[in-house]
Amino acid sequence: MLTDPDIAILLTGILVGCASALLGPFLILRQNAMLSDAISHAIVFGIMLTWLLTGLVSGPVQILGAGLSGVLCVWLIEALTRTGRIKEDAAIGLVFPALFAAGVLMLNVFARNVHIDVHTVLLGEIGFVWLDTVAVAGIEMPNAVLWMGAVFLVNLVFVMLFWKELKLGTFDPTLAAAFGLHPRLLFYGLLLLTSITAVAAFDAVGAILFIAFIIVPPATAYLLTDRLAWMVGLGMLTSVASVFAGYALAVAWDVSISGMMALMTGAFLMAAITFGPRYGLVPRAWRYRADRERNDVRALMVHLHTHESGSDRAEENVSDALITHLNWPEIRAKTVMRRAVNSGLVLHDGGVLELTDQGRDMARTLLEPWRR
Amino acid sequence: MDLLFDHTLRNAALGAALLGVVSGVIGSFALLRRQSLIGDTLSHATLPGICLGFLIAGGRALGPILLGAVVFGVLAGLAVLALVRATRLKTDAALGIALSLFFALGVVLLTYVQGQAGAAQAGLESFLFGQAAAVLTSDLAVLAPIAAVTLGLTALFWKEFKLASFDPVFARTIGLPVTALETLMTLMVAIAVVIGLQMVGVVLMAAMIIAPAAAARQWSRTLEQMVVLAALIGLASGVIGALLSSTGQGFSTGPLIVLVATGITVVSILVAPGRGVLWQVMQRHHERQQIDAEEVLATFRHLIYEHGDPTYPVERGMLNTYHGRGVSRVIEDLTAQGLIAQASHMDSEGDHWVLTPKGLERSGVADA
Amino acid sequence: MGSPLLHEPDLALHVEDLTVSYNGRPALWDIDIDIPPAVMCAIVGPNGAGKSTLLKSILQLTPPTAGHVTLLGRPYHEMRKRIAYVPQRSSVDWDFPTTALDVVMMGRYGHLGWFRRPGSEVREMAQAALGEVGIADLASRQISQLSGGQQQRVFLARALVQDADIYFLDEPMAGVDATTERVIVGLLHRLRGRGKTIVVVHHDLATVRDYYDWLVLMNVRVVAQGPVEKTMTTEALRAAYGGQIALIEGSVLHAAQ
Repeated sequence: MLTDPDIAILLTGILVGCASALLGPFLILRQNAMLSDAISHAIVFGIMLTWLLTGLVSGPVQILGAGLSGVLCVWLIEALTRTGRIKEDAAIGLVFPALFAAGVLMLNVFARNVHIDVHTVLLGEIGFVWLDTVAVAGIEMPNAVLWMGAVFLVNLVFVMLFWKELKLGTFDPTLAAAFGLHPRLLFYGLLLLTSITAVAAFDAVGAILFIAFIIVPPATAYLLTDRLAWMVGLGMLTSVASVFAGYALAVAWDVSISGMMALMTGAFLMAAITFGPRYGLVPRAWRYRADRERNDVRALMVHLHTHESGSDRAEENVSDALITHLNWPEIRAKTVMRRAVNSGLVLHDGGVLELTDQGRDMARTLLEPWRR
Repeated sequence: MDLLFDHTLRNAALGAALLGVVSGVIGSFALLRRQSLIGDTLSHATLPGICLGFLIAGGRALGPILLGAVVFGVLAGLAVLALVRATRLKTDAALGIALSLFFALGVVLLTYVQGQAGAAQAGLESFLFGQAAAVLTSDLAVLAPIAAVTLGLTALFWKEFKLASFDPVFARTIGLPVTALETLMTLMVAIAVVIGLQMVGVVLMAAMIIAPAAAARQWSRTLEQMVVLAALIGLASGVIGALLSSTGQGFSTGPLIVLVATGITVVSILVAPGRGVLWQVMQRHHERQQIDAEEVLATFRHLIYEHGDPTYPVERGMLNTYHGRGVSRVIEDLTAQGLIAQASHMDSEGDHWVLTPKGLERSGVADA
Repeated sequence: MGSPLLHEPDLALHVEDLTVSYNGRPALWDIDIDIPPAVMCAIVGPNGAGKSTLLKSILQLTPPTAGHVTLLGRPYHEMRKRIAYVPQRSSVDWDFPTTALDVVMMGRYGHLGWFRRPGSEVREMAQAALGEVGIADLASRQISQLSGGQQQRVFLARALVQDADIYFLDEPMAGVDATTERVIVGLLHRLRGRGKTIVVVHHDLATVRDYYDWLVLMNVRVVAQGPVEKTMTTEALRAAYGGQIALIEGSVLHAAQ
């Protein structure tokens, strides 16, 4: 059953997505998202080197060997940054292209007859994963499913085992270090797993589309929730949905399956950006309007309170002053005044504005919150 | 001399030279504004533009392809800006999102183009890793004016770019439209990326924005020096890489150019006078030695005062005890400088040293 | 061009009913400030009082929710060339490849206008300004090799070549050595002597009396303003520092009596 093309492709996609969504949230929250870009390029170097040394193009040795090149990449970036001669972003942009370039040159020179080619590097071959199978405990299954499944399990165990350490290490590395939780070691563990996941996913989705899988679904989740556990869960959900939608569209339009899956993560991101209940643009625009009106009323209360007992009261606490002194356009001034009067904060008598007790209370609370 | 008459090679070298100069100049500003990785995002993001340009022109016509690339590069730049401004995502995530999603769109379009019956796909693959040999004379006629305009704009807006890069807040207070200038600089990064697409390819252009500028930064004291040097380093990397790729069989040009540029950068970070890492290590070592020497001389002075004897012979073991470590090397240095000399005190008790007249003067004993 | 009608032209700085929101929350409430010309004025208040926000809003770097600002009777954008600004030292990357003299010359960019390159007269002005802050010999020094105090003096020299009537400084004395602080204060006093108005966001209550003749005490709104002797009272300080009153040293309160 696992060798059925549809099932093999979908299963591989789901495993890539879920394995990535386990790690991505920590990278995003640590503001190290671009390290995944660096790692996913750098593993091309590791994959070529491991192949040259061992002749292996898949399996655990290959995955771990090539995975180390991602860690090497991060270590080089840190070493360069530590010289103080170059900023971190420039160091990232210097190290990974060099490793990637070295990998491509090795490809040019040694690998003309191997199935790793330019195409795989960039696009992956998820459409063909069902061709390359292996029997485990009597069950025929695609190599990709086997190894992606193994990596997913390793990631799952790692994240569950070190959940609270990862959480604290992400939000407050200093405190985590003070507790003896070794946040740096844990961070390198996270990056090693990121590399390993990238290597395992390489055949299926290529080096660059992997970035979409590890960044976009967690970013989507980040726009929907403030809780880390939810972020991981929603990220996985987004991945799985993208895999199904992407596969269907790719088949319908006869285009790259991995490309379409990656692109669909973007569709979910767009939806979250626009309609996310707390951080989405539409709900926020709605609230922003309400906030602005509320702030305008507050500003008026403070203004009236400030000048209430001063000699300039006759000049300041009149409806015209909203336009001449507060510099508001007439329509805005009228709206603010109407809201203030309707809320019982202000009495509008002729041109003069008089604070009610309620309005005065509001101004005082705003100005001297510590007296509350 | 034959090399000069080889059209393919000449075109490749000229194209790479153009790319090197422009990306060095534009990259300098990106580097100083801490926008290095924008080049990475923009270059990956040009892929859908390349495919669309190809589709619309119905073939590998450079004009439409470059136009498409610039448009999508700029769109990606705007997407990054919009994500950072409008959502709670930070710059790093925004860069990664724009990079990977635009690239995914490119991959989808690429497979669509390849699926079209009769569409020659060979032309497009060269945009991934770069193939300088594919540069035609007619391509140069497109690239050279673009490069000239970019460099001209940089010269024209020189002082505005400089101030907006160094101190954008101050620039705003004197009335410079900083946002517009920053947008223009980002647009120019997109143009630099596009000039390099044929030679270096979408994946590796990021390095060409960063490496020449980062190398030049180590050697320069002013922005003027940095930009000129970055242009020269970019030019050298481009030409050397293009020439190297023409010697071997089937070498992609991009990786070679990038490795040359990275090599120059690494060497610069190590050895550049003043800023170089090795330079500083040597400097520190030298300072350390001087401090050690002063400390040992101070010990001599102390012992001389204590014993009221300017020719008091000091034993090696005593010095070691005083300083809590072996000071043999310092003693050798001081002897070599003629500040102390070995004195035969009592053979059985080991080596002794006394201050020479020069040493007495240097340690301040002579003044007292 | 310019406004036909001047609004409060006798005041160097006139802030009227200014409310500024930051990230959707108001950071300044209904600020009214009047500063006469030729004074040296300190803006003082606890952390988070909105001092820097006030400066940014005066310089039109942050748009206000309500209210307006005039300088010598005109809005800021008509007065750019008569105003100088010294941002916080930490606001720029001092590893930028440029020299002290070059940074000072940037102070003239606004007067030069588009496309014109600074010439020898600008260079001479800049050199003279560096002399005035006592670091003429560091003109060709790379800015990354300057000490904190020297960097602050370079920024001050840049403001000098702006040849302004009103100077705004954001915490110029924060984290500089005693010599630099003396140089800065001396220079600002000389400028005041020439009829310039100096407005400084200041963090050290203890030195207010020695350095300034005008004071704006604020905490989200203006608590007190006027000549230092009259304004710096225990009451006003208590009102400005509110819950943080315990943090104010007794000596300062004593000095305020």
